[in-house]
Amino acid sequence: MSKPINNKLLIRRLVPWGIAVVLLALTGSCKKMLDVDSSRVVGEKNMWNSLEDTRAAVMGTYGLVRAALADYNAHWLYGDVRAGEFTSPTRQDLRAIISNDLTASYPSLEALSNWRRWYAVINSANIFLERVHEVHEKDLRYTENNMVVDIAQIRFLRAFAYFYMVRNWGDVPLIVSSHDGNFENKPRENQDRVLAWAEQEMLAAAADLPYRYSAGDEQQQGNYYNETTGRWDGALARKLSAYAVLAHLAAWQGDYPSVANYSKFVIDNYQKATNDYISTDHLTAANGFFFNKNTNQLFGFAFDWGHVDASFTGHIEELTLAEPVVNKRIPDIYLPKDSIINIFNEGGDERFSLDTLGTPVSDRYFSNYNGRYPIFSKIKCIMGGVSDPTFRIFTSAIIFTRLEDVTLLRAEALAVLGERSGAIDNLNAIRTRRGLDAYNEEVNGDLLNAIFLERQRELMGEGHRWYDLVRYNRIRPNHATISQLIARNGIYWPVAQTLLDQNKQLTQNEYWQ
Amino acid sequence: MRNTIILLGCALLFLTYPTFAIHHFQEGGTNNQPVDTAGTTVPQDSLVNDTTLVKELTISRVDSIFTDVNVRSMSTAPDEIARFPAVSLQQYLKDQAAGLYVQENTGEPGSVQQMYIRGLPMPILSHKEIYQSQPLVVVDGIPLIGEHPFAFDIQQYQFSRIGPATNLLSNIDMNNIASVTVLKDLASIALYGPMGANGVIAITTKQPTTQRKISFNVYAGVAQRPTVTTINGAYENAFRKQFYDRYTATGRYSADDSYPLYLSDSLNTSYYGPSNWTDSYYQTGLLYSANADISGGSDRANFRFAAGHLRNQGVADETGLKRYSALFNINMKPMKWLLFSAMISGNRVQRDRNRSLRDRFATASYIPDPSSPLSPNDEIYRQYLTQFDNSFDNNATNIVEGHAKLVFDFNRVKIASRVAVDYNEGYRDLFYPRTLMEENSFASNYYGYNQRLIFDNHVTYDVNIGGKHTLFVEGGGVLQWDAFKYNYAYAYKGINDFIKINLLESDPNNGNYLNPTAFPRELVFKFLDYTKQNIVSFYGRGSYNFDNRYTVSLLLRSDASSNAQPTSRWLFTPVLSLGWNIRNDLLTESSVFSTFNLRASGGRMGRLNAFDNFSQGPSYSTQVGYTGNLITPGYNGMGVLTRPYDFGWSGYGIPWSYTDQLNIGLDLGLADERVQVNLDWYTKYDRNQLLGIPSYAEFGYRQSYEAGMEVNNTGVEMLVQIEAFRGGAGKFSWTPSLNINYNQNKLTALPGGRNELIIDNRLFRVGERVDRFWLLQNDGIFLSDAEIPTVDGQPLRYNGIPLRAGDPRWVDTNGDNTIDNNDRVLMGSIFPKVSGGFMNQFRYGKWTLDANFYFNLGRNVLNADMANRFDFINREGTVEINSVKEITFWEKHGDYNRYPIYNPWSNVIPYRAEQDLFLENGSFLKLRTLSLGYDLTELLSKRAGTIERFFIYCTGNNLFTLTPYSGRDPELVDFMGRDTGYGLPIPRTYTLGIRMNL
Repeated sequence: MSKPINNKLLIRRLVPWGIAVVLLALTGSCKKMLDVDSSRVVGEKNMWNSLEDTRAAVMGTYGLVRAALADYNAHWLYGDVRAGEFTSPTRQDLRAIISNDLTASYPSLEALSNWRRWYAVINSANIFLERVHEVHEKDLRYTENNMVVDIAQIRFLRAFAYFYMVRNWGDVPLIVSSHDGNFENKPRENQDRVLAWAEQEMLAAAADLPYRYSAGDEQQQGNYYNETTGRWDGALARKLSAYAVLAHLAAWQGDYPSVANYSKFVIDNYQKATNDYISTDHLTAANGFFFNKNTNQLFGFAFDWGHVDASFTGHIEELTLAEPVVNKRIPDIYLPKDSIINIFNEGGDERFSLDTLGTPVSDRYFSNYNGRYPIFSKIKCIMGGVSDPTFRIFTSAIIFTRLEDVTLLRAEALAVLGERSGAIDNLNAIRTRRGLDAYNEEVNGDLLNAIFLERQRELMGEGHRWYDLVRYNRIRPNHATISQLIARNGIYWPVAQTLLDQNKQLTQNEYWQ
Repeated sequence: MRNTIILLGCALLFLTYPTFAIHHFQEGGTNNQPVDTAGTTVPQDSLVNDTTLVKELTISRVDSIFTDVNVRSMSTAPDEIARFPAVSLQQYLKDQAAGLYVQENTGEPGSVQQMYIRGLPMPILSHKEIYQSQPLVVVDGIPLIGEHPFAFDIQQYQFSRIGPATNLLSNIDMNNIASVTVLKDLASIALYGPMGANGVIAITTKQPTTQRKISFNVYAGVAQRPTVTTINGAYENAFRKQFYDRYTATGRYSADDSYPLYLSDSLNTSYYGPSNWTDSYYQTGLLYSANADISGGSDRANFRFAAGHLRNQGVADETGLKRYSALFNINMKPMKWLLFSAMISGNRVQRDRNRSLRDRFATASYIPDPSSPLSPNDEIYRQYLTQFDNSFDNNATNIVEGHAKLVFDFNRVKIASRVAVDYNEGYRDLFYPRTLMEENSFASNYYGYNQRLIFDNHVTYDVNIGGKHTLFVEGGGVLQWDAFKYNYAYAYKGINDFIKINLLESDPNNGNYLNPTAFPRELVFKFLDYTKQNIVSFYGRGSYNFDNRYTVSLLLRSDASSNAQPTSRWLFTPVLSLGWNIRNDLLTESSVFSTFNLRASGGRMGRLNAFDNFSQGPSYSTQVGYTGNLITPGYNGMGVLTRPYDFGWSGYGIPWSYTDQLNIGLDLGLADERVQVNLDWYTKYDRNQLLGIPSYAEFGYRQSYEAGMEVNNTGVEMLVQIEAFRGGAGKFSWTPSLNINYNQNKLTALPGGRNELIIDNRLFRVGERVDRFWLLQNDGIFLSDAEIPTVDGQPLRYNGIPLRAGDPRWVDTNGDNTIDNNDRVLMGSIFPKVSGGFMNQFRYGKWTLDANFYFNLGRNVLNADMANRFDFINREGTVEINSVKEITFWEKHGDYNRYPIYNPWSNVIPYRAEQDLFLENGSFLKLRTLSLGYDLTELLSKRAGTIERFFIYCTGNNLFTLTPYSGRDPELVDFMGRDTGYGLPIPRTYTLGIRMNL
């Protein structure tokens, strides 16, 4: 009688402990459970291990430059809209830029006053330069040559970012290391010092950059990251990109002898880079020069259709195109008819000219010329380079410079330096390709004016005009407002309030105080 | 260190014993089943009919003072709440519980709504913060998983999340619910761990019975079509003309001006004709719900099965929702010491969403030319609507949760082991034909899931020494795996309008394998994301009770999350609760007090971090996009890795954030519980929280995540129920019940000892509320240039722009002759200081009348819709999401005469929303429910004896609103406190229903 009871008691005693032991064993694996690698971001331990990491970092830095240029169409708002020649019928923010009310509180103006995106480029470059050797040590596939070329590109992009910022803000903090995790706020550095540093960086980078990638260049052997020329042409910074930007940098400083030097290097060597002057048709075709990427894009950032890179914003087309070119009633900006006539004042201009009856010979540069809003349609890369007006998604590259720009910059330098014949030769190199007669002082007036007018016509809508006007008025203070702005340091953008709020060492530009 | 904690936790598990930790107490008194220690409602007449067991349960019930039936959190019982024709849990609970605040910002059925218990734990800046401040909803012990906000990372426009964006709490059929409890103080939420840091809503489903029972609940009704004032082009033209008359000489402000075409031609009947679009936009909605359940079994095994269907049509834009639900409970007792119980609940929710242009364009990330808005003319509007016939927008969500539990019952020792799963998946398949978007068709497909798996084990041990001392010890360990995922793709410009899905080449031998065939490859955008979070928790709790008079309870827990950094993965937190039953101690003879309890609890609990981005310190991601094109996949067709500059810097050394809380409560019952009062005072500090501080821009970062933000919420909650008139059976009775809460939040610290911070155009200052508006003070208008104050020859400026005639007279608070951010003032509050519900139940004979009021006091609304209308110059002709004019543009609300006629062309943007001109008092009182019921049980049971209850009722909801707000319904605001005009009206509904038990 007692035995079963004992058994029962035994079970009663033992079962709970048994169960508890089993449960404990099941719960024991909890430590492993907690070490979860994020599937959304790459942690430090999984970066800088292989050649794929450096490739991703190099491409990322390019991507950040493109983002800085494309955000709110900044490149064109800085370069074209601020020049004040375009008119905006509907966008109050653009009107504020046109009237130089740069502190008006529109989101676009606030973004344009904020240099953060450029510093993202710089930080990305700094981290790369500090960490790239780790990959070289860990991954045998990552050759010395590959690393040298990568470093050169990254140094160039970093210097370019500083140059672009100095043009827009003047003095900017000069930061050349990542300070990862130990960030400290820095004051603004004198712009001359920044530019001198940037010039040295670009020269050093230029020395290591190839003329072309994956094309048997002695400075870049074999297939760059195992991809052929088709992948890289036009997409990356090359030796001539560096010299072209150097020419711009020197011109901004008024250092015209250097402009002449740097631009000469480009013009002497462009054939090595499979670069050439382009026809007016190619310049303005929907699938022409601006479409995707090509070697003639001396320094540019592509939105490649084939790479599913087409986008609604980040293109001049978003600002300029409207009916009948795309489905949009009123363009964000347009050039009024009388301005067009003033600028394109020579017959036979393939870009734009009027025939004897006063009707446009072609609509390469302007469509709907006789409508209420003439549409500036020089650049019109819609979708895969088609003329379908229904979908406003664009594929034009952001071009910082091209051979024609460098040629005219050289003409400008030579003109300033008093080498008239060289200047005229370079000017004519463009004029003749656009169907114009060779430069004639009696018809075309002053040489320097003619060169700047040619720049205006050739590079319209490519983000140059504002800086051209500043350079021109530094040489010849003709334009009342702009020379006034130069005198009062008003050519710079205000520093965004958010930047001033977070870094007390920064000061607002004097003009905007 | 970590190992030690694990060991300690494991040892705790080994040594101590809990039942599963559902801390729960009975609501409303309709269902008088006994309640076990810390757990589920125990089936009254089935598995535990062992007398010793029942006795034991009764004893152990006092182990925690907070399972006391006298602590109530809800005004009405689930059975009565179920009469409300609601879709979501939030709607059911909106006016019910003191301390629970529900934000219902649109009347669109099934849309996402927010809940906040005891105020705001952090400033609400985006959907991320909303997600991290939501309370935990627990159904039968299963903590439900929400929709992770990571999908917003790829959205330029964050109006609603990609996918079906259906409210995941649309899965609660109130007819299946035995009790709902809103748990607010640490004493009751601590068992749920860090997931419950924002409060817990514990829901218990009805349990099986041994006798066969069938019940049937049904209602049907209508949602009334709203009446609105419509306007047409002539009205809008006249409205704008006054600005042109005043500020232009020629009807043009400048030569470049373009007057919108649709207003220019007064002969154009599509805009100048009748404005009768409401006939096609607003509708009378159909509502019905039917639920049936059967329950039965034997002493050893029993079950309950319920199935239901609900349909809820909105009153605007053909919105609506359908739900199919089923729930199955089973309890088995194969041995005397073994109880097995399981529950599974499945829901399918299908939603018809609104067709607003904004949401459609935001989904497509493409804004067609906005220069011709929709016509207010019904005929033309109908033609537009017919284009949708060729489209589809299928939104379906499947929500399944279930658990299986084994309880080993060895008298004093009980062991519970449980596996619980919550899984929900959402689909959205979308196609818009060419005609809807400038000849561009659009197709998108979304599939995403959120899933949670829990394995938990508890041991409890119970001793009773000498009848007076009761000791109760429990310990447990919980392992939890959460995973979130979505796949999303969209495509533009299909080859025709007949192929509506994004077909891929399916032949592996074709060179084009897996490339799209019906849509251009270059216009197909694909996304996927996946994240998970694993949590490990151990806890132990001891409660001691002396003679039903004094109780003390201590809970210690240690939690670890995979989202916490390895160096601070574990967090140890204690909670202490004390209880004093004054009635049993000092007032045993009192005839006045039938209940007099004093409760106090205090302690700490961790707060989880929803994003795994922080878990590993500095990281690299693929963000090289920019405004308007966030989704840039790479550069030159290659993937990129850069630091997450747009997301922000996050370094090492991120600690756990946690909440410190103190709660003091008083439960009173007077005159034999005729008057019941529950009063709570609390203060809580949510500490060490991460905040994205705008900083390090010179290192590329938009912000830097730093820990150290601290927000305090202090408040008082009261629930009073009085049987004001208590007639006997069949006599008149009136039972009013008031739940009211007062909450005050305050920012008490910012990271790095900062005193104030500007984030996204909002200012946060230590010592101020976290939900303030930051606005310029408006003081009229400068009628002439001469009125503008000048200092040293400089006129008053706005951000460097000189003010001129026609500009607003903004107050120069700091007197520096410049209007800028320094002159903006913190004012008002987005969330109410006082909110609550006032319920009245009248009974006479077999009649019942309920009248429930809902109110918010001390809150403000920014009328952004009105600001937008006046700022028409900046909203006309530009291809921008804020310029999109909905059909409701042709609706007039508010009083235009309140606003001065400024120069709308001015660069100072006179009609900017950030000024107190548009800030209004958003307090309101609503009659939320008026319900008349009649009990037919007696009448029918004479004929058919099986009828246990037969009750018919008719209900009207949202019958009126009293508010000083000049716009529409003041509830229809977004989380920034703005009335953007986008919320669909919350409908007035009328329903007729039957509740029957057999």
